[in-house]
Amino acid sequence: MSEFKIGWNAKMDMLKFKNLGEEREKIIAEGSSKDLETIYKSNTLANLLHPKGIKVKVSKIVKETDNTKSFYLEPMSLNAMPPFMAGEYITVLVKIDNRIYKRPYSISSSPDNLSYYRITIKQEGVVSTYMLKEIAEGDILNILGPFGHFTYSKIRDQKDVLLIAGGSGITPFMSYLQSSYFLKNINSVTLLYGAKNEFELIFKKEIDAIASQNPKVKVAYILSEEKRSDYEYGFIDEEKLRRIGLENKSIFLSGPVPMYFYISETLKKLDIPNKYIRHEIFTETPENLENKQFTLTVKMLDKTITIPCQENETLITSMEKARAKTLVHCTVGICGFCRSKLLSGEVKTDNSHIRMADKEENYIHPCVTYPLSDVVIEVPIK
Amino acid sequence: MHREFDAIVIGAGNGGLVAALTLQKQGKKVLLLEKGRVPGGFATSFIRGRFEFEASLHELCEYGTAENKGEVYELFENLGIAQKIHAKVVPETFAVYALKTNEFYEMPMGEEAFIAKMEEYVPGSKESMQTFFSLCREVKEALKYLNETKGHPETEVLMSKYPRFMVVAPYSLLTVLKKIGMPKKAIQILSTYWTYLGSPASKLSFCHYASMIYSYITKGPVTLENRSHEVSLTLSEEFASLGGVVKYLTGVKEILVENGEVTGVITQDNQKFLTKHIIANISPNEVYGKMIEKENVPVKAKKLVSQRTLGAQGVCVYLGLNKTKEQLGLSKYAYFVYETLDSDVEFKRMHSLYNGNLAATITDNGEDSSILCLTSLLFGNAFSREVTKENYFAIKEQLAEDLITSFEKATHVSLRDAIEEIEIATPVTFARYGGHPEGTIYGYLASGSDNLLPRVMNEEKEVYIKGLRFCGGFSSRLLGYSSTYINGRDEAMKTIGDMKNE
Repeated sequence: MSEFKIGWNAKMDMLKFKNLGEEREKIIAEGSSKDLETIYKSNTLANLLHPKGIKVKVSKIVKETDNTKSFYLEPMSLNAMPPFMAGEYITVLVKIDNRIYKRPYSISSSPDNLSYYRITIKQEGVVSTYMLKEIAEGDILNILGPFGHFTYSKIRDQKDVLLIAGGSGITPFMSYLQSSYFLKNINSVTLLYGAKNEFELIFKKEIDAIASQNPKVKVAYILSEEKRSDYEYGFIDEEKLRRIGLENKSIFLSGPVPMYFYISETLKKLDIPNKYIRHEIFTETPENLENKQFTLTVKMLDKTITIPCQENETLITSMEKARAKTLVHCTVGICGFCRSKLLSGEVKTDNSHIRMADKEENYIHPCVTYPLSDVVIEVPIK
Repeated sequence: MHREFDAIVIGAGNGGLVAALTLQKQGKKVLLLEKGRVPGGFATSFIRGRFEFEASLHELCEYGTAENKGEVYELFENLGIAQKIHAKVVPETFAVYALKTNEFYEMPMGEEAFIAKMEEYVPGSKESMQTFFSLCREVKEALKYLNETKGHPETEVLMSKYPRFMVVAPYSLLTVLKKIGMPKKAIQILSTYWTYLGSPASKLSFCHYASMIYSYITKGPVTLENRSHEVSLTLSEEFASLGGVVKYLTGVKEILVENGEVTGVITQDNQKFLTKHIIANISPNEVYGKMIEKENVPVKAKKLVSQRTLGAQGVCVYLGLNKTKEQLGLSKYAYFVYETLDSDVEFKRMHSLYNGNLAATITDNGEDSSILCLTSLLFGNAFSREVTKENYFAIKEQLAEDLITSFEKATHVSLRDAIEEIEIATPVTFARYGGHPEGTIYGYLASGSDNLLPRVMNEEKEVYIKGLRFCGGFSSRLLGYSSTYINGRDEAMKTIGDMKNE
C-alpha cells in the first residue's frame, strides 16, 4: 500500500502539522505594535444613521389649522439630521410636571432636506396640548429615532400608489410627496385626503402646489361635515374607492383607527390582497375595561418600584404617571423597545408583535398591556 | 463597595450565553453584561407584518435528533435546555446553481446517497469521495481528541490513531481534495458550503471544512421552529433562574487590568464590577483597541490583531412572500447561487458589490405564505469602501435588487409579485446591533495561520492578559452557530481550570 501523503512525504506533512503553532507565532511576531485602529466606517455610519438620541432646537413653529401646529426641529448635537425614508417617525420626549412622556410623530418634511425634521401635531391629549400651548420657538427637545416601516419600497410596492389620509394622518404622506426617491420610482400617486371641513385640511396649499407641478400627483379632498360644490362629500367609502380604481395599486393608509377598520373591511370585500395594503402603526384600545385599581411592581436593573395602575390604562401610562422611567418608543406595541417579562398577574395585551419564543416565556409590550390584577414585570431600565 | 463576581461574561451572543450558563451551573457567581436589549446577538428574530424572520441562522449543524444526537444536542442536554428547543431536521443538503456556466446540482442527505449522486454528476468521483468521507471521520475523531487534551495531544496517540489527520491537517481544502484525486467538478460541488465558513477552498483548512460538511451530510442540520431566539432566550432564562445576574442595555466601557491581570470592568454607565475572570464574546479589536488602557495592552496582542483580516461582511434580504413554497415551485430548504462553482474565482468577485452570489433558505409561514432569506457575503471591505451617508439607502436597495434578481434567474421562480414584506440588513445594520468592527458577521477570515488548527493550538499562548479569554466567532473555533455554542462551553471550562490553578 502506498503511503498516504499530501506533500513530499507523510513525515514532512506531520512535521508541518506540528509546526502550525510556531508558524502562527512567527506571523504574529511580524505584526505591528502600533496602537490599534478603533474607527470603522460601517460602525461610524451606523451611529450616524441611528444615534442614541438627538438634541434638537425648535427653530420654527407654524400654525397649520386652528388646532394643528408644525414644529421645525434643527439638530444641536449633530451637524445634520440622520437620513430617513418618507413615512418614518421620531419619538419626542416631553417633560410635563416632572413626568417624561414619549410620543411618536411622523416626520412631515422632505427626506431630501436634512437640515431639519418637521413634525405636525394636532391637539388631542395631554402631550399634544402641551406641545401646542407651551412649546415655543427656541425651546430644546430630545428626540429618538428615526424609526418605522411605513415606507415605500420600489422592490415590494407597485408603481401606482394610492395614499389614503384621514385628518392629521396626512403627516407621513407630506413627506412622501416631497421625497425624490418616492416620486422618481412611481408612475402615479393619488392622495385621498378626508377631513371634517376645509379648515381641518392640513397642508392643503403645499399639497396643491406639489400636484400642480408634478403630473404624477393627483389629489382628491373629501369633507365629511361640510357640503360644498368644490369638494367631494362624505367618507372614503367603497364607491369612491371603486371610482378611483384599485387594480395593481399599492394602498397606504394613515388616519384615525376607525378609518383603518372601515377601509380594511372595504378592501377585503373588494378582494385586495394584503400585500397591496400598508398602514401606519396604530393600536386599538380594548373596550369594556373599568377603572379598577391595582398595583404594578416593576423590577428594574438595580431597583424595584411599586406604583398604582388601573385596568383601563396601559402599564406605560401608569409608569409615566408615577414619574418612572420607561423604554417605550412607538407606544403601540410594535417596535419592541419596551419588551418586558410578565412575572405575575393577569393582563389584557396585544401580542401580535411578540416573538414566538417570547410568548412562551410571558414577554409583553407594556405600552399595549392593561392590568386585570396586581402585576409584576421585569424590564432592563436603569 | 463594588460587587465582585467569580467571572464576568461580556456579550450575550451564542458563545457568551453558553459560557455564562456553563459557569453558573458549576456553581460560580457570574455576571453577564449585554449592551443590547435582548439575548443572542445575531441569534435573534424580528417581526414584520405577519412574518417572524430568523435574523441569521441558516442551518444548525451538529444537532441531529434524540436518536442521533450531535454535539450541540448533547451540550444543550447538559445545560438542561434541550427539551425546550423545537428543532426540525432539514431533509436534504443543498441545491446549487452556477449562473455563468448554467449548472445545477442537488445533493441528498446521507453519506452513501451523497456519494452515489456525486458519481451520477461526476463519473469517476466515487473512490475519491469515499476517501474523503473516511478522512472526515478521522478528522472528526482527531479534533475531538485535540479538544479533550486542550491543544496538547500526545504525539504517539496521534500517530497511532489519527495518522492521516496529521498528514492533511496543515493543508487547505483544495490541496487535499486535489491530492486524493477528486475530479475538479466534484471538488467544486463539494465545496458549495464554503460561504458558510466564509473562506474559499484554497484558503480554508481542510479539517475545518471536512468536519463541518461531514456533520451536515451524516447528522442532518436542523432549523429552529421558534427561530434562534428560542435558544438565546432559553439559555438566558436558565442562567437567570440559576441565580446568574444578566444586565441588558449595559455595555462595557473598560476592562480593568493591573500587573497583566484582569481585575474588573467599568460599564458604559460607570458601574464598576470586580472579577479575576472575563470571557469576552466580542472582538479582540474592540477589547485591545478600546477597552483596555493603552499602557496595559500587551504588544503581542496588538501584533496579533494587526495581522488578522476581518471576515466577511453580510447582506441579508428577508422576504415575506404571500405564496407557499409549493405555490412558488421551490421544494428545497437551502439554495446556493454562484456565478461559477470555483470558490477562489468567486471569492475574488465577492470583493466588490453586486456580485449576485447568495445562500438562500426558504420555509413555509403558516398555510398561505413563506419566508425566504437571501444572504450574501462581501469581502475586503467591499461595502464600507463604497458606502456613504448619502448613498446608503440606494446601495442597500440595489444590493437587495441584485440578490432577488440573481435568485430569480437561477431558479426561474418569480418572486416580485409575491413580496408582501421586505427587510434588508447590511453591514451597517450588523454594526448597529452587533457592534463588531465593520459589522462583520464572520469574525476573522479563516486563512493560512488563522485557520482552525493554529488557532486552537496556540490558544493558551494567546492569553496575553491573565484571566481574559475570548469566546464566539472571533475565538478559536471560528464562526457559526454550532462552533460558537461549543466554544462558549470550552472557554467556560478553561476559565474554571484557571480558577482551580489559583
